[in-house]
Amino acid sequence: MPRYGIAIDTTKCIGCHSCRVACQNQQGLEYNQSFNWIKEKERGKFPSFAKEFVPLQCNQCENAPCQRVCPTGAIYTSPEGVVLVHKERCVGCKYCIEACPYKVRTVDHHEGIVVKCWFCIDLVRAGGEPACVTTCPTQVRIFGDLDDPGSRISRFIATHRAEPLRPDLGTRPRIFYKRS
Amino acid sequence: MPESAWGWLIVAYLFLAGAGSGAFLAAVACDLLAPDWSRTLARAGSLAAGPLVTIGTVCLVLDLEAGLWQPWRQIYLVSNLSSMITWGVIILSAFIPVAFLYAAALNEITFVGRFAKKYLLHLEIVGSVLAASTAAYTGVLIAVVNGVPFWNTPLMPVLFMASAISTGLAVAMIGAAILDINTIKTLSNFALGHLIFLSVEAVVLMMFIFMSLTRSVEAAASADMLISGVLSPYFWVIVVVLGIVLPFLLSIVEYYKYGELHKYLVIGADLCVLLGGMSLRAVIIFSATPPQVI
Ligand code: SF4
Ligand code: SF4
Repeated sequence: MPRYGIAIDTTKCIGCHSCRVACQNQQGLEYNQSFNWIKEKERGKFPSFAKEFVPLQCNQCENAPCQRVCPTGAIYTSPEGVVLVHKERCVGCKYCIEACPYKVRTVDHHEGIVVKCWFCIDLVRAGGEPACVTTCPTQVRIFGDLDDPGSRISRFIATHRAEPLRPDLGTRPRIFYKRS
Repeated sequence: MPESAWGWLIVAYLFLAGAGSGAFLAAVACDLLAPDWSRTLARAGSLAAGPLVTIGTVCLVLDLEAGLWQPWRQIYLVSNLSSMITWGVIILSAFIPVAFLYAAALNEITFVGRFAKKYLLHLEIVGSVLAASTAAYTGVLIAVVNGVPFWNTPLMPVLFMASAISTGLAVAMIGAAILDINTIKTLSNFALGHLIFLSVEAVVLMMFIFMSLTRSVEAAASADMLISGVLSPYFWVIVVVLGIVLPFLLSIVEYYKYGELHKYLVIGADLCVLLGGMSLRAVIIFSATPPQVI
């Protein structure tokens, strides 16, 4: 069984929000709902000044705080290592939103449950890749099997020493960033 | 106000569960330590505990979404023993009936109460354990949350426990005044209780704020919101001055001028404690600052 992850190269991101729109389209979200954010970080001082765009979505933590606190057991990890929400069990208590350090979970007020990025697992199981990965015009994201040392993603992480966001939080994310 | 997934309903829940369990503990303490002259207070505390915790639990349920529209989903709430909400549901389901039964027994309400009176001491012991668990649990609930570094400290349950006891005592004192305004004189005996518990609360609150300033940037950002930021008027005026300092000073006067303090000042001091307790929960929930992840 593969263990899926995404590598993100922020040096290539131009902040166009295509991934966000593709995601909203794929998941049938409303304009103000999203599983995907483009955070902006400014560094340096004029005139040597830089703005970095950092795409952010559920990190599919291996040690997921959201899963640990969910009272109903609605959150579970699939065999491919994707953190999923059992829609029939979620009561909408929002404890998972508080527990997620990356603040990537949102309330779906129609269904009354909490939802988030799920790596387009339906597309992936059918042999495709997540919509944000395939849509990106500058190919910021690489999707693949973290357990296969020969995969493009594993080689990318090894070559660039890509790291997850805030590894010190102990969540063991499956999304890795190359930021310089 | 900064965004938080939880709002006033959760604030009310944390406050009412704390005040209710504190009132229970106050009632038991009065009944065991001074059953002769503090009887009205014990009765008031026992009568208030069950309803307060129940209303708090209703607030929690009202904050649900799918679980409110399709109530049968609530059965799943006890699925995950590593979730503090699961524990909370278990503790509350045990505490609420015990609290009502205790009120019935102490006040000899109906035949159930008269029967339960035979087991009063048992109810007091079991109920006190459950009340203390409820009060502490409301703090643990938010202390285990890694998504909000400000909450993520073992001081949180200590602070909520201290606040639960002082607000519980205030509830019992107001209740006693309602049941029998003549008890107002004996209430002076409890001014000492207020002095002790308000001091404990003030010390823990101070430690919590100071330690947050150095714990992490995010915890410091939240603490700054209370000390000098957007929430500072509420923190200083309502939580600190009205909620702790004023009732503390009034309790000193009450203690020394035994039974002489005007009755509205006695009750006013207790109302201030309640206002402060509710506002303490509010500023803590609303100052949540997530980790800086990028
Ligand atoms: S990033 Fe947040 S929502 Fe995603 S698995 Fe981790 S804790 Fe859960
Ligand atoms: S909102 Fe749903 S998924 Fe999140 S903790 Fe509550 S029951 Fe679990």
